[in-house]
Amino acid sequence: MMSPMTDMESLNQTGQYPYKPSEECQMLQSKHLSMAALCAVAFIAALSPRLCHATLGEPEVSVQADVSQLRASIKSSEDRTVYRVHEIQLPSGTVLREFVAANGNVFAVAWSGPFMPNLRQAMGKYFDSYVAAPRTGISDRKHVQVALPDLVVQASGHTRSFAGRAYLPSAIPAGFNLGDLH
Amino acid sequence: MPANLRVIRTALGVALCLGVISCGGGGSYSPAPPAPPTGGNTVAVIVDEGPSNNSVNTLFTSVTVCVPGSTTSCQTIDHIQVDTGSYGLRVLSTVLSLTLPKQMAASGSPLVECTQFVDGYAWGPVELTDMTISGESAKSMPIQVIGDPNYTTVPSDCSSTGSAEDTVTTFGANGILGIGPFALNCPLCAMQVVPATYYSCATPSTCVGTVAAEDIQEPNPVTLFATDNNGVILDMPAVTSTGQLNVTGTLIFGIDTQSNNASGTQTVFNVNGNAEMTMTFDGQMLNQSFIDSGSNGIFFTSNISPCAGSLTSFYCPGSTLSLTVSLQGTNGTMINNVPFMIGNAQTMLTNNPTFNAFPTLGGTNPNAQSFDYGLPFFYGKRVAVAVENFKTTVGTGPYIAY
Repeated sequence: MMSPMTDMESLNQTGQYPYKPSEECQMLQSKHLSMAALCAVAFIAALSPRLCHATLGEPEVSVQADVSQLRASIKSSEDRTVYRVHEIQLPSGTVLREFVAANGNVFAVAWSGPFMPNLRQAMGKYFDSYVAAPRTGISDRKHVQVALPDLVVQASGHTRSFAGRAYLPSAIPAGFNLGDLH
Repeated sequence: MPANLRVIRTALGVALCLGVISCGGGGSYSPAPPAPPTGGNTVAVIVDEGPSNNSVNTLFTSVTVCVPGSTTSCQTIDHIQVDTGSYGLRVLSTVLSLTLPKQMAASGSPLVECTQFVDGYAWGPVELTDMTISGESAKSMPIQVIGDPNYTTVPSDCSSTGSAEDTVTTFGANGILGIGPFALNCPLCAMQVVPATYYSCATPSTCVGTVAAEDIQEPNPVTLFATDNNGVILDMPAVTSTGQLNVTGTLIFGIDTQSNNASGTQTVFNVNGNAEMTMTFDGQMLNQSFIDSGSNGIFFTSNISPCAGSLTSFYCPGSTLSLTVSLQGTNGTMINNVPFMIGNAQTMLTNNPTFNAFPTLGGTNPNAQSFDYGLPFFYGKRVAVAVENFKTTVGTGPYIAY
């Protein structure tokens, strides 16, 4: 078994990452999860144009449309040492997580739950590359792995239970542990 | 697999195909699998190269579909995948020669489904058929017809879940028979509109999401049988560790309903609402694990060397590994240290490019909480799958037992 690095190990490797959230997202600067979540909820309630939620490869603030188009709600937002996670609860029961680097760009999305999420919305301009990518000749319908130079997609599951992740290898923050990408 | 290997497999598959009665679509692609122990409640199942000529560890059977009420407007379709990880019968429109009546949504317009898979979706209308398999029949049963040429406008939220799997080649089968431990794919769809599931289509290109009452969804066909309706037993022979060309087994309908489907001394593993249980591998308790005839290998997180190239999601250890996994049902029953082996996927495919059954094929699993024990689990076992709320002499579904 691989032994996933803990956050503390990441921290030790990178030291205190000088996290500087983009101006538009300053209300989510709080290191306190509950405060951040409250802010997120307040954003949704106000339909603020500064809503912090985004699409793979795009700035954190660029896609306010995601939450409304997915008819979803932000369940929580959490600052980690070298990245930030927004957890979005879809009405279907599936949870979508978006990972934001210190530069404000979404470098990964992950999903888990009873239904597939809208991957075109979550993966943005990378969705078409994912769909067009060649698959292994012996694939079944329960697994997929796509590894392009600028995009990795890995997913598995079955009816009633799906899980997967998509990330941009070149945008992964230094010290980030792929084992945390779920 | 590497392009050259795939070419070899395809060429050999075509050669095998030409050697039999006929080839191509229309459900006449190869001879019927050999007849195993017969009975009114058994049907032969086979692992072979499949209609896409490159299947591995994929289990197929044949079903007969008829226009409801007719005994003459009927068609037998071979190479329907047997999947204990989904629910309902789905067939590709290109192999269906019958015209079946549409299932209507509550709106009065045709009901059309977007079936979700991990890597893509299947789009097509829900239609009604009388299905027969062995001596069992399900009358006026909703099924999905995938890739209907009249329904080419796929709603955006459906096509946004992945790649289209609407041809025999992309689907890898002429259809799929979902006979897992539940009655339906989507109970939630009967209560609310779930994106990318069911649609009401006033015209083939005017579809809106809809609720779909349970009785208009495609059910696990077993639950509609007059008797033998509480589940299935999949009885498969052991397979040589280096693989075999084909494997034939028996699918038995009903549990404890006939002399040939008694439970005996099986261990019963109840599963949760996602058909999942706990498996412990390498000291890790993985509570999203499942046993699934529709997975073509053994998939789990490990530091075993992955293969190179297009097989990168499969494992390629330097030598065949002997490992164990422990199984635990939601009812607490356990079997510890079930042995399994992981071979080098590249080597096994290269050494025997015509083989279709590989009991040691394993691969990575991006869900670190899941051990997906696919068709290799069934080799050499007699596995019962009991449907939710149905009783047998040893328990109540949903369960898996062996």
